[in-house]
Formats: sequence, structure tokens, C-alpha cells
Amino acid sequence: MSIAISDVKSQELYCPEIAKITAVKRFTEKEKWFDIELPGGRSLGHQPGQFVQVSLFGAGEAPISVTSSPTKKGSFELCIREVGMLTKLLHKLDVGSTVGIRGPYGKGFDVKSFKGKDILIIGGGIGIVPLRSLINYVIDNRKDYGRLIILYGAKNPDELLYPDDLKLWKKSNDIEYHITVDQGTPEWKGNTGVITTLIPGLDLDLPNTITAVVGPPIMYKFVLMSLKTKRIPDENIYLSLERRMKCGVGKCGHCQINHSYVCQDGPVYHYPELKHLQEAI
Amino acid sequence: MKKYQLNNKQLPSFIDHLKKQGTVFAPHKKGDTSYSFEKVENPNSVVLDYNRTLNSVKKYFLPPREHLLSFSKTDNSFRKGSFKNEKKIFLGVHSYDMKAVLKLDYNFSQGNPEENYLQRRKDSSFIGVSFIPDEFHFSQSVGIPLHDTEGFDIYLEQNSDGYTVKIITEKGEKLIDGFDRVSKAKDISSNHVQFQNKLKYNYNRLPEVFEQSWNAAVWEEVSKKCVGCGTCNLVCPTCYCFDVEDNLDLSLQTGTRDRSWDGCMLNGFAAVAGGENFRETLAERQRHRVHRKFKYISDITGEPWCVGCGRCTAYCTAGISIVEIVNQLCDEYEQNYLNRPAVVGLNAERL
Amino acid sequence: MTTEAKIKPKVAFFDFTSCEGCQLNKLNLENDLLDILEHIDIVEFREAMDDKAEEYDIAFIEGSISTPSCVERIHDIRRRSKMLIALGACATQGGINAMKNLHPIEEVRETVYGDDKYLFPTLPAMPISAIVKVDYKIDGCPMSMPEFLKVLKSLLAGQEPIKPDSAVCVECKLKENECVFDKGMVCLGPITRGGCDAICPSFGQFCTGCRGLISNPNKNAMLEILTEHGISLDEAKKRILLFNSYDHSQSLPK
Ligand SMILES: Cc1cc2nc3c(=O)[nH]c(=O)nc-3n(C[C@H](O)[C@H](O)[C@H](O)COP(=O)(O)OP(=O)(O)OC[C@H]3O[C@@H](n4cnc5c(N)ncnc54)[C@H](O)[C@@H]3O)c2cc1C
Ligand code: SF4
Ligand code: SF4
Ligand code: SF4
Ligand code: SF4
Ligand code: FES
Repeated sequence: MSIAISDVKSQELYCPEIAKITAVKRFTEKEKWFDIELPGGRSLGHQPGQFVQVSLFGAGEAPISVTSSPTKKGSFELCIREVGMLTKLLHKLDVGSTVGIRGPYGKGFDVKSFKGKDILIIGGGIGIVPLRSLINYVIDNRKDYGRLIILYGAKNPDELLYPDDLKLWKKSNDIEYHITVDQGTPEWKGNTGVITTLIPGLDLDLPNTITAVVGPPIMYKFVLMSLKTKRIPDENIYLSLERRMKCGVGKCGHCQINHSYVCQDGPVYHYPELKHLQEAI
Repeated sequence: MKKYQLNNKQLPSFIDHLKKQGTVFAPHKKGDTSYSFEKVENPNSVVLDYNRTLNSVKKYFLPPREHLLSFSKTDNSFRKGSFKNEKKIFLGVHSYDMKAVLKLDYNFSQGNPEENYLQRRKDSSFIGVSFIPDEFHFSQSVGIPLHDTEGFDIYLEQNSDGYTVKIITEKGEKLIDGFDRVSKAKDISSNHVQFQNKLKYNYNRLPEVFEQSWNAAVWEEVSKKCVGCGTCNLVCPTCYCFDVEDNLDLSLQTGTRDRSWDGCMLNGFAAVAGGENFRETLAERQRHRVHRKFKYISDITGEPWCVGCGRCTAYCTAGISIVEIVNQLCDEYEQNYLNRPAVVGLNAERL
Repeated sequence: MTTEAKIKPKVAFFDFTSCEGCQLNKLNLENDLLDILEHIDIVEFREAMDDKAEEYDIAFIEGSISTPSCVERIHDIRRRSKMLIALGACATQGGINAMKNLHPIEEVRETVYGDDKYLFPTLPAMPISAIVKVDYKIDGCPMSMPEFLKVLKSLLAGQEPIKPDSAVCVECKLKENECVFDKGMVCLGPITRGGCDAICPSFGQFCTGCRGLISNPNKNAMLEILTEHGISLDEAKKRILLFNSYDHSQSLPK
């Protein structure tokens, strides 16, 4: 193997764009929502399910999913959970602060190929973040898609994200929306139980339903089992994986699962591809 | 191919001749028994007769530590790291290390071609030198003949008086141009070197073995001896994983975004916030490392991504040998999938 | 960037049972120290000045806990400090002081204090974290100066410092050191937490493990490496325990 390296057009991969925070909302104790504008209001140009590398000089970078739909112009949105060093600092930022943005990176949901299909969304915890991009995309292109069914589960009512969206989804007679919490509170009137309890009751047009699943690693096994019982064909299932990431461009090796780089071939995978990746689920 | 003879005593003046054309890097003695590539100041301290260098020439294209950016928090500005544009001549490279550079070329130019690597890598010339394989080399077993000249501009083959100089490329021709003390190569006998095949299977049968390697017993066995120090990753000429970390200087306003070599044998390599570690055990990490050398990239490129330099084995304090790992995989494969015992000795090739 | 008037954090240094090698080490910072002073107010620093203040933003603690009065004092400091950071092997792991834990406590008092032993009550040597909450640990004997600066910078910038967790071997490779095993020595670098820039091997010395062990260390494999290099199992265990007896003396094979 010998490559004429002088013929290769090289790219500057590690320079972020300095973007501005234009709105901030606190969802829960741990999660905040940010609206972000690239220089000149340029579009990010992402697909639902893709992520960006968000950075603060002096603190580092982290992969964060884009939570707004590409149909939204002028700015894009992130929802960030405070878990460690960088995310803690990001939570301290307010309107007018700047962050570094690289991306969008990775493979998102192939929304074109979903056209005409029913869309079943299954989001656990913070997994709803990338799914919201897909949900809003479908809502904004409503006539191109069939039914939109949203299953959303959180640990408890305090951890539910996107309060405004939830109200909207609930109200809309165009959306079938089911929500559950692992543990209810006295005020909680809805379902309690893990997200898989919502699956058996669904009435689905099987070959015509695309399922998009995102959640914590532990959720996938159980959801996939339920989907199997429900006889949803593997070809109709898409899921998004989380791995440690440093570069986002297929170089640093941190996100690798067998031959696959999650930052390039994922984070969204077509389930049949994943079945052959030994360490994936 | 043009050939010349370069006698041992002409070597310093040959190096001086090269130095006039660019910065020359060559092996030097390091420590008690080791060698390393260094910039040549004094031609007499260059050692061409060496077993292996601690790090390969990879360090010049992907430095152990580098600034990706330098930034200022005050005005949110940054500058990217700079690359010195100089003509570089690498003298005394072994064939397996040359092959490793070509493999890295692939890794850094496919997908998203990386400027940092490619900028440093351009304007490089390579002058190879033959070597006498020691107990750790097995490059021939992974398809790199002892005198493989691919990638070299000039190749020096050791003989009883010095070196037979073989001009491989036009660039090589230019490098030697004007050095008038080279006489036409006489028929001086080359040092007769035997290279034993150390892998049980010829390398082109390894994909078959690695189809069945996931659940092999060897991973668990090796992990009992392994301390997870990461040495085998960091010394490998085809490893290129890295970590990125921001560092502030004392002003607390300016600083650098730095990358440094990392390795998949290290505990935190695949760990994420929240406590999940996707390769927690040493067995899983060892399996990942060896699969990266023999399967993941190889399935795509059709070549082993290990060049048989022997560094990971020579420098592993626990004495873990990649050759033994692969050979045990071959054994397990035979026992479990071919249902017949190993019949051919260690040094035979089976096609 | 905001231009608020800077209130410098109040920083104090305290030492417990240690050789005070760490503090001396700190005073050697010289140029860097001046830059650091720009950002902090040192209010208590036993060897450098006599000022006293009541409350601290950051308290750095050296030395291990080994007497009942130490326990009282550390509780008091903890109460008065927003952030408490253990400095050096004695404070982070009990250090060499914790070696005495391997012997019956009476025997230790006998050897150390002779006939006066009853005048000096002593406890098993303990790291600071055995008594109070420690926010961050800077390992090493002496502690690593570059790491001290790095941690201080992170804290001053409002960040949580990241604890290094790769073996010293990694730093050796980054510096292209010849391994001291190839010089006929044995070295604890393979399971010792890096962050010191492999300073000992860089000077041709073996690593004694002064920064403690990495997370998830394979201690049995390390013992095997040591014994294969001609060290008796007993001696090998002693080497590993030299700086790690508080955390690891129970977990080595018998
Ligand atoms: C594709 C993808 C999309 C993500 N989307 C979101 C999102 O929309 N919202 C959100 O809150 N979080 C998201 N995460 C997780 C988020 O990246 C981590 O929580 C974050 O990196 C933690 O950084 P920290 O510095 O705060 O934590 P620390 O624990 O201090 O992290 C230290 C270092 O560990 C690494 N690291 C730790 N956890 C992760 C992780 N989960 N993934 C990758 N690297 C990690 C990083 O390199 C980081 O620099 C996503 C992760 C991935 C891979
Ligand atoms: S060098 Fe040896 S001991 Fe260290 S991680 Fe590699 S195989 Fe394990
Ligand atoms: S795996 Fe080992 S022998 Fe193969 S190239 Fe890497 S260091 Fe050399
Ligand atoms: S000298 Fe010690 S720390 Fe350095 S590589 Fe050798 S064993 Fe590892
Ligand atoms: S090399 Fe080992 S003994 Fe030396 S400072 Fe580092 S951790 Fe301590
Ligand atoms: S994040 Fe670096 S390779 Fe995927």
C-alpha cells in the first residue's frame, strides 16, 4: 500500500468555529438547553442524529447531539447534561457567551429513506435529545411521513426534558404520544414503569414502521427484545450509540467498535449493521 | 537500478553530503543498549547497524505531544499549530518501519485527510538500510521481505566493506547527485542473513484465523500476565490513537489544546462519564489491540497492520509476545474449527 | 470576558506528619511562584510566613494523620476550608508513614520513641481522606511540581482538575526513555499512576511507585514481573507497598 501523499488534499480538522449562545433554558437540575448561532447565522447543515464537538478554551471538547431539526434556520440547539468537568462549565454559560463548535459529524437518521413510512420514536432519558431533532423534522415535513409515535421514558417526572415540546406533542392530534416514568410522584398521573412497558400495547403497521431508539446502554437490550416480540423487522430499526470521543473525525481511535468508528459510521446505526459488531450492545 | 559501493569510511562524508540538502535524521545510540532516531549533528555518531529504535520515525509525523491550537480566552481567538516546512531526509530506516509509514499515510489520508500529519510528512526522503533480524523481528512473516525497498528512495544493503547503494527513485538519484566518492558497486558479497518465519500461518491465511478469534481463550490467558501499561501501543509504529487535552498557562487566559499519543490498552481509553467503560477488562483491551493489528483495518486494506518490528514484544515488561498470541490463535483455530492438530513446524509456510 | 474586580482566593498550606520535603519543593517554584501570586493570596504557609486567617478558599494539606491531635486539627481545617487538597504521598496515601501499619502499633512506638513511648500516643498512619473529605489529591513523594501547578491553574480557572490515570510507562514512551528494565533494574512504573513525567526513569532511576497505583491495577501480574526479574515475592510485595500500604496491603496475595 503506497499513497501519493502529495496528491492528497488535506483538511484542517481541529479548528472550531466560534459560535454565540443566543438563548439558555434550564430543564432540570442536570440539563440545560442552549440555542447557538454560528458566525453570520450560517446554517449548521446537519442531519437529525448528528452531533457537534463543543468546546471551551482551557477546558476541552465534548460530543453533543444537535437537538433541533435542520428545518430550523439561523441557529441550532443543544441540550447538555452536567456530568463532568466540561459540561459543568458549559452550564455556567449564559446568553452572549461563546463556545467552539466543530462539525456536524457522523451519520444521522436517513430521513429521505424514511419517507412515506410511520415513525416510531423510543427515547430513554437523555436519549430524547437527538431524537427531538428527528421528531421536529418529521413535524415540519408532516405530509412526507405516516404516523408519528413517540415513546418517552425518564427516571422520574423531575427528569423530563422539553416541557414545551411535551405539551405540544400531547396536544397534537397528529402525534401519538406515550410517556412513562420509572418512579412516579404523588402528583404524577401518567404511566409508571420502564419504557419497554409501552411497547406491547402499540398497534403498528409492521413492515411500514421505522423505529428509532436512543437511550442509555442498558436500555437497548430490553427495547430490542420487546421490539422482537412485537415482530418489528430488524431492517426497520435504527439506534444511536454513545462512546468516548476525542476527535470526531475518525482518527483518535477512542470511539472504535470493532472496525467501525462511531464518530464516522455512527452514532446512528441501522440495526442489521450493528448485529455484527461484537462490542456494540 | 543503479548500484554503487559506499565504504564504511565514506559514510560520514555521505551524511555531510545529505546534510547540505536537508535536515537529516538517523539512528543514534540511546541509553545502555537502545537506539533512537535523532537529528544528525555529527555524522560520526550515526549508527546504521542497530536492531531497532525505541520509537519509529512516526514521531516526526505524529509527534508524541503537539499543540493542535493555541488560544486566548480573553478574546476567544486561536491559532492552529505550526509546521516547520523543511526538507527531511531519514537515513537508516528499516524496511518494516518504512512500511509502517506507508500504512500511516493510508490512515491519515483516508476519510478526513489530516493536515497535521500530511504537512509534516511531505518533503520527506527515506534512505533504507538492511538489518540483521533478532529474536523479536518477524516482518517477513507479515509479508515484508528483508530487503523490501518500497517507499525508499535509496537503499543501503550492508556488505563486508560497507554498503551496496541502490538507487530506487529519481528523488534518490538527486540525493546522491554530486557525491563523487561513490564507485560502481563491485561484486562484494552481501551479508548472508536468514529470516525465519515466526508466525505459524502465512499472513494471507490470518484473515481466516481472525474470523474465529473473538472468543479465543488466549485473551483471558494473556490478560493474567498483562499490567495494562500501554507500552505495546505507544511503541508500535502503526498505532496512532491520541488523546486531546487543554492546558492553560499561568496567565490563566492563554493556553494550548494539546494532543498526545494514547493507547487502547489503558484503563480509561473507552470510558465515558457516568462510569461506563466499554472495554473494562485487560482481555477485552488486548483483543482490541491485536484485532486492530490483524483484522479491523486489514479486512479493508487486505494487509496486516502489524509490520513485525517486534517492539511491542521487546519492550513489554511482562514478556507478552504478539507472535505467541497470533500463533495461539492459529492453534485454537485448528483445534476448534479445522478439527486437526497442528502438523507443520513453526517455520513452515502454509498457503 | 468579564472584567470584574478580581478577589484573590485565600490559600493556606498546612503540614502534618511528613518530612516537609513537599513544602520546600513548592518554594523552589520561584518564577512560577511569582506568577501564581498574581492570582492567589497565601494566608497561611508555615515555612514562608506567619500570617493567620480564619477561612480559606483552598487548603493544601501535607503529611499523614498519625496522632489523635492530628485528627482534631484536620477536622478544624476542613471546617474552615471551601476546598481541601491533599499534597504529596503522605497526605494522599499515608505515604511511607503508612508502612508502619504493617507492624503492630506497639512495636512501632517502641522503635520510634523507645522508653518514652507512652508519652506519644500514635495511630496507624492514614491518608487525609481517611478522616475528612478531600476534594483533590496531588500525588508523589515529593509531590510533582508540574502537577501542583496544573491543579492550581485548573482550580483558579474554575475547573475540576483531571486526575492522570495512565501508567508512568506511558510518559516514558512519550519521552522515548530507555526502559530501566533494560539497564538491569526493576521498576514499578507499569502500574504506577503517571503525572510526574516519568521523572525517575528519565534520570535512569527506577520508579518506586510514589504516586500510587493506577485504577484497576493488575497487581498479581506486577508481582510476577518483579519475581521474574529475580526479586523474591516478599521483597516484591514490599516494593509495591512502600507507598501503597494503606490502600493495598490487604489486597496483595498472601
Ligand atoms: C455522539 C454523542 C452524542 C452525545 N450527545 C450528548 C448530548 O446531546 N447531551 C449531553 O449532555 N451529552 C451528550 N453526550 C455525552 C457527552 O459527550 C459527555 O457527557 C461529555 O463528554 C462529558 O464531558 P465532561 O468533560 O463534562 O465529563 P468528564 O467526565 O469530566 O469527561 C472527561 C473526558 O472524558 C471524555 N468523555 C466522558 N464521557 C464521555 C462520553 N459520554 N462521550 C464521549 N466522551 C466522553 C471526554 O473526552 C472528556 O473530555 C454525547 C456523547 C456522544 C458520544
Ligand atoms: S506492554 Fe505488555 S504489559 Fe503493557 S499493556 Fe502491553 S501487553 Fe500489557
Ligand atoms: S504490533 Fe508489535 S510487532 Fe507489530 S508493528 Fe506494532 S509494535 Fe511492531
Ligand atoms: S522505566 Fe519503568 S516506567 Fe519507564 S517504561 Fe520502563 S517499566 Fe515503564
Ligand atoms: S517515576 Fe515513580 S517514583 Fe518517580 S516520581 Fe514518578 S511515580 Fe514517583
Ligand atoms: S472520536 Fe476520534 S475516532 Fe471517533
